[in-house]
Amino acid sequence: MKRKLFALIAILAFVLAACGGGTEISDEPASGETTGGGQGPTVIRIWVHTNNAFIAGYDALIAAYEAEHPEVDIQLENFDYELYLQTLQTAMPAGEEADILQLFGTWTSQYYERLAPVPAEVMTVAQAQELFYAAPIGGYIVDGVLYGMPQEFNCEYGGVLVNKTLYEAAGLTYPPQWETMDDVIADALVLAQSDNTGMMTTAGFHFTSADPTVASFLAGIRQRGGDYWNADQTGFTFNTPEARAQLEWMAGAVDAGVVDPIVFNDSTNFVIDAFFQGKVGIGYIGTWAIAEGQANFPDFADEWDYFYLPAIEGDPVFVADSGWGLTVSPNSEHQDIAWDFILFATASVDNAAQWNIASGTIPAMPAVAESAEIAEAMPWIPKALDILPYGQYLGNMPDRDLVVYEIIYPHILNVLQGVETIDQALETIDAEANSTFR
Amino acid sequence: MSLGFARKRTSNGGLASAKSRFVASVTIPLLLYESLGVFILGWAFALMFFDYSPGRLGGPILGLGGSNPFVGLGNFIEMVKGTSVEANLFRISLKNTLIFAVVILPLNLAITLPLAWLLESIGSRFRALYRTIYFLPVLTSSVGVALIWMTMYDPQAGWINAIIRFFGGTPVSWLSDPRAGFANVSVAMWAVILAYLWQDYGYNMVIFIAALQGIPLELKEAAMIDGASPWQVFLRITIPLIRPTMLFVCVMTMLSSFQVFDIIQVMTNGDPGYQTQVLMLDIYKNAFRYQNMGWAAAESFVLFLIVMGVTLIQMRLLRTNWEY
Repeated sequence: MKRKLFALIAILAFVLAACGGGTEISDEPASGETTGGGQGPTVIRIWVHTNNAFIAGYDALIAAYEAEHPEVDIQLENFDYELYLQTLQTAMPAGEEADILQLFGTWTSQYYERLAPVPAEVMTVAQAQELFYAAPIGGYIVDGVLYGMPQEFNCEYGGVLVNKTLYEAAGLTYPPQWETMDDVIADALVLAQSDNTGMMTTAGFHFTSADPTVASFLAGIRQRGGDYWNADQTGFTFNTPEARAQLEWMAGAVDAGVVDPIVFNDSTNFVIDAFFQGKVGIGYIGTWAIAEGQANFPDFADEWDYFYLPAIEGDPVFVADSGWGLTVSPNSEHQDIAWDFILFATASVDNAAQWNIASGTIPAMPAVAESAEIAEAMPWIPKALDILPYGQYLGNMPDRDLVVYEIIYPHILNVLQGVETIDQALETIDAEANSTFR
Repeated sequence: MSLGFARKRTSNGGLASAKSRFVASVTIPLLLYESLGVFILGWAFALMFFDYSPGRLGGPILGLGGSNPFVGLGNFIEMVKGTSVEANLFRISLKNTLIFAVVILPLNLAITLPLAWLLESIGSRFRALYRTIYFLPVLTSSVGVALIWMTMYDPQAGWINAIIRFFGGTPVSWLSDPRAGFANVSVAMWAVILAYLWQDYGYNMVIFIAALQGIPLELKEAAMIDGASPWQVFLRITIPLIRPTMLFVCVMTMLSSFQVFDIIQVMTNGDPGYQTQVLMLDIYKNAFRYQNMGWAAAESFVLFLIVMGVTLIQMRLLRTNWEY
């Protein structure tokens, strides 16, 4: 009986141990197996979030790499965005993640303890800073250590979709000749339309979705000579004259009538959906929206183009939160191959250009962004070349998504919707954002 | 020992052995399965005392400690007294959850019980038809229900505003106007409550119909003979006799109201201005979007305590000591 009891306890202990996983970085490979008893190709797994345009780009890169390296079999696995986050959070502590992980640059500061640093022989920090724009590479450097390489420059600042059909119908000059933001507001006021009950049906200048609102707010602070970081980047300073001036400007634009943030915001009439349904004259959004809008609204008949806004003040200084890129798991048995593929995908001008064209994203490398190939495939990119060098990295926030989506955006939207004062909003943003430092 | 006795012993021994094997084959998998559940509960219980994020390496034992430090009751103290964004959102979410549950329960009962009574009093041919119609939303997925109601609530193209416009009224941004409200509850919350009620009421209605069918006809007839009106019969005979069912319905409705998640996530995701952010949504965001699992575990424990407390109170208030 005792022996049976012992066996039962042993089984239970085994199950509990198995369920518990472990936080130790395993010496054993999580993946990277060879098939056929070591005779077959080396398998490298890549995890990415589901985005059909991105995946098409990865498929082409993988095919090209495997053609050059027949001994390597790269397997791409994709997960819906929310599921991807959950999968990373459960797989990484268990050491079960893929060899190569697609991460957003700003996530690196949250996951770096579970990532492999880039070996110096692959690329040094200095080389990376030389090769890539400052904003995208900034996200992959934590405490002076490089943890991955960016594939795109996620520029949420300054770019707008402009509806040519609505412009011409309103009798405005097209393409727009904007010298200052006042010119943009003037056009937007003409474009804005409401029905006979007063409900806005066409937003003149839709800047009230989450990313554009926050990008505009942070850029405005920097362009006015202020900063939202303290000197040693250990805390935020959102309650400043520069932040107030920018928020007052945004509230002024809403009061003038360019957009009704009750009807046009992040959850109702999101800028991409509203623009590609003809309900927006000027829609503030990153270039990534172009591919998504075209895919989701193939019947949209209006003519449109993509432009960049003038600075609110001085140079078009702005902050960007890095962009999607590739990192390597420390549990991978074949880190050398993983890094070789990442170099192939991100540091080769031709390969990076192909991926950016397929995914419709702004290149992370100046050499790619300035190439004729990119200009031909994505004519809006050359328009961005003047502002991209002004891009600064957002900074390693304790939790970028929490600060941006749960603190800054909701309070600014409250101000624009008239349910919170500017004073209250700035005080609360400052207090809540600083509370994220534990 | 006789041969027969020996056979009997052998036979009994074989049966006992087979019984033991059967018990083991059933019990061991069950124990293993239960141990998994116990481990998960234990893990969640432990997490609430840590500032734990799965993105951090942490200490050597299950990642606890180190960069995932032990905070004791810190998470609970922060919930009550803190000024962090998590604490603020927890308090907002708790308030919204209580509003949601407190509004849902009486509205649900006010709709389902009279409806069940009405259906019970009509002919059996139509009864089945109506019962099916009213029960259909229960079978529909919450996401589908949310999408249907979102379309109806659309400020520009939704038919609810179209009707309002037709009668010369001012259209409302049902899901995105933080200024609009009724009885100190935001219009977005009312909109979500309405959608939830529509999906949920068929379930309770069917349960009430079953309870009404179980009431002996003689009791009602006796009351009628004594001069009671139909309303008095309903109030004095029907309601007391379905009290055990009401307890069940109240408890289940309250439980599901406290755990509401999917319909709100799809319809508003907590907007506008967190006016529809409920506890389950806040727990989900903290655990899986912001990797703040220690905090999410502490929130889950608070929700568990609230649900348990409310259930015990309901059981106390609605319990009966008799049967019929």
